[in-house]
Amino acid sequence: MKVLIFHIGPDRYGLPLRQVRRVLPLLELKGIPLAPDSVAGLMNLHGAPTPVIDLSRISGGAPSRQHFDTRIVVADYTAPDGKVHALGLMAERVQGVHDVSTQELAPSGVQAAPFLGQVAGDAKGMVQLVEVNDLLPAELRARLFPAEVEAG
Amino acid sequence: MNNLSIKNKLYIGFGSIVAIILLLLILAYNNFASLTDANRWDRHTMEVLIELDRINSISLQIQVDTRGYILTGNEALIASERENAELLKQHVVKAVQLTADNAQQNERLKRAQTLLTGWAEVNIRRQIDKRRALGDTKGAAEILAQSSELKEAGAIVSSARELLDQAADEERRLLAERSTKAVDLHTSQNNLLIGGGAAVVVLSLLIAYTLGRAILGPLSNLTAALSLLGSGEQSARIKVTSGDELGKVSEDFNKMAQQLQDATQREQALTNELRSKVDALLGVVSRATSGDLTGKVPVAGEDAIGQLGEGLQRMFDNLRQLLNNVQKAGIQVTTSATEIAASAKQQEATGVEQAQTSVEVLSTTKEISSNTSQLLRTMEDATAVADFTTNATSEAQGNLRRMDQTMQNMVNATDSINAKLAALSEKASNINSVLTTITKVADQTNILSLNAAIEAEKAGEAGRGFSVVATEIRRLADQTSVSTWDIEQMLKEMQSAVSASVMGMDKFSEEIRRSVGEVRQVTDQLSGVMDQVQKLAPQFDAVLQGMQAQAVGAQQISETMMQLNDATQQTVESLKATSEAVHQLQYAAGDLQSSVSTFAVNA
Repeated sequence: MKVLIFHIGPDRYGLPLRQVRRVLPLLELKGIPLAPDSVAGLMNLHGAPTPVIDLSRISGGAPSRQHFDTRIVVADYTAPDGKVHALGLMAERVQGVHDVSTQELAPSGVQAAPFLGQVAGDAKGMVQLVEVNDLLPAELRARLFPAEVEAG
Repeated sequence: MNNLSIKNKLYIGFGSIVAIILLLLILAYNNFASLTDANRWDRHTMEVLIELDRINSISLQIQVDTRGYILTGNEALIASERENAELLKQHVVKAVQLTADNAQQNERLKRAQTLLTGWAEVNIRRQIDKRRALGDTKGAAEILAQSSELKEAGAIVSSARELLDQAADEERRLLAERSTKAVDLHTSQNNLLIGGGAAVVVLSLLIAYTLGRAILGPLSNLTAALSLLGSGEQSARIKVTSGDELGKVSEDFNKMAQQLQDATQREQALTNELRSKVDALLGVVSRATSGDLTGKVPVAGEDAIGQLGEGLQRMFDNLRQLLNNVQKAGIQVTTSATEIAASAKQQEATGVEQAQTSVEVLSTTKEISSNTSQLLRTMEDATAVADFTTNATSEAQGNLRRMDQTMQNMVNATDSINAKLAALSEKASNINSVLTTITKVADQTNILSLNAAIEAEKAGEAGRGFSVVATEIRRLADQTSVSTWDIEQMLKEMQSAVSASVMGMDKFSEEIRRSVGEVRQVTDQLSGVMDQVQKLAPQFDAVLQGMQAQAVGAQQISETMMQLNDATQQTVESLKATSEAVHQLQYAAGDLQSSVSTFAVNA
């Protein structure tokens, strides 16, 4: 199973490649006033406005530092109603694609943030998987994708 | 009493004496009045007694006349019988009137009056009538003597006389009583006069004594105090005991004495102060007399002594200053004399030396004459050397000019190196921008390879080969990034080296410029030297001529030195005399110093 490796603070995390649409350099984002702190801004993805979530911020840390390998990962966010949305994720030190064998994956055993999944170890340390679909709490989801509420 | 004035004291004293005398007079007057009254009563009693005696005697006369007539029948005997009867009646009436104040006596006398009147009018008449009737009858007297009329008349008269005797006794008793009373009054009068007089005398003496004490006491105090004050006892004061004029005088005296004492004390204090000032002045003056002029005059002020002290102080200051100056002058004279003596000795020695030197100079002058010819030859050699020097200098000038040229070339070369270094720096900047581009491309490639890997993963099995390629591309991109960073570092080092070189070159060209300036300066100096050297040749000629003239002059010097020698001998002689005089001066200065030093002048 291939994952995209990035960092939140000093720790390594993996985003499953099947949910990654593409990786973009750090773009100029439009700020959203009165939005929650975890929302970094709005970006233009081929004409479609797409919200960008700061992964460092949503994990309770400081905002992501703007390094040359700080990227925006465009992921597929599947809402509970089955509708798929594009969601920008700002991540520090995006290092590349890494292959994690399914046998090595094990539950972390610690129930912390809802979007943190299984853990796998390798030569550089441990990698914890991030579940994109569990990233947004219901309230934030309602704010970011109000159309589905109307549709629902 | 004490607070009364003297006038009041006198009034009171004499007034009390007069009052006592008045009292005594009043008492005496009263006693005299009583005595006069008693005398009057005595006289009155005596009058009554006289009247009674008269009544008795008249009645006896009547009786006798009647009896005579009876016996003799002589009418002549009873011729005055009427008048006597009338007299008897008058006296009885008078007696009754006199005793009007005494009721008992009056009663008695009235009864006697009745009896006597009746007796004189009736009984005596009857007897006379009877006798007349009898006439010259024998035995008529016996008849009548035996007659009842005679007896009756005798009884009436007896009773009347008895009454009169009683009245006379009563009056005598009264007279005795009154005499006693008068005597008593007299005695008391005497006593009063004696006692009262004595009392007046005693009281007067007492008052006079008290008054005298009240007036004379303060006076004697005053006198005593005055005599004390007169004898010089200034603390003498009067104790003021009374508020009268003398008391006031005493108070004033006390004030006067106090003022006198104060004045004396002030005078005493002034005298003491004056004495102490004079003593201080005397002390300073006596110290000055013994030669110690350091004493400070402690007296100052506006008064005569103060001015005297200040004047003395100024005089001492001036004297001290003068002596100081004299001492300093003495020391200076001594030192100067010593110096003069020393220098005289030195001059003497110098004179001797001069004499010797003159001899030496003589020999030296001869040597100079001989040396001059040698010098002439040497001068010719010198001229030759000077010519050589001129040539060498012009050569050196040419070399220096070439060196200047070389330096100029070096400056130019340095400038061109600087320009090349600047070009190098610019190139390095260009490389930097290229490197930035390369870095961007590598970054893009990195993202591209990531996306390619993602796409390959999505393509599944078909994209596996592509995935490998993407990984490889990514690795290449990373390597590019690393190499670019290395190049960037190298480029930075190179740039700093180039700037250091530029700075070094700048410094170097500055040095060269300075060297060029110095070379030019040296060239100029060499030119000056050359000019001077070229001028030397004619001067050497002048020296040569001078040398010849010198040889002649040396001979003249030799002669002059002989004369100088003689003069020096004379100088030495006179210096010896000077030295002797200076010694005497030294002794005199020493004497002056020692005599002045007996004065102490440093405070």
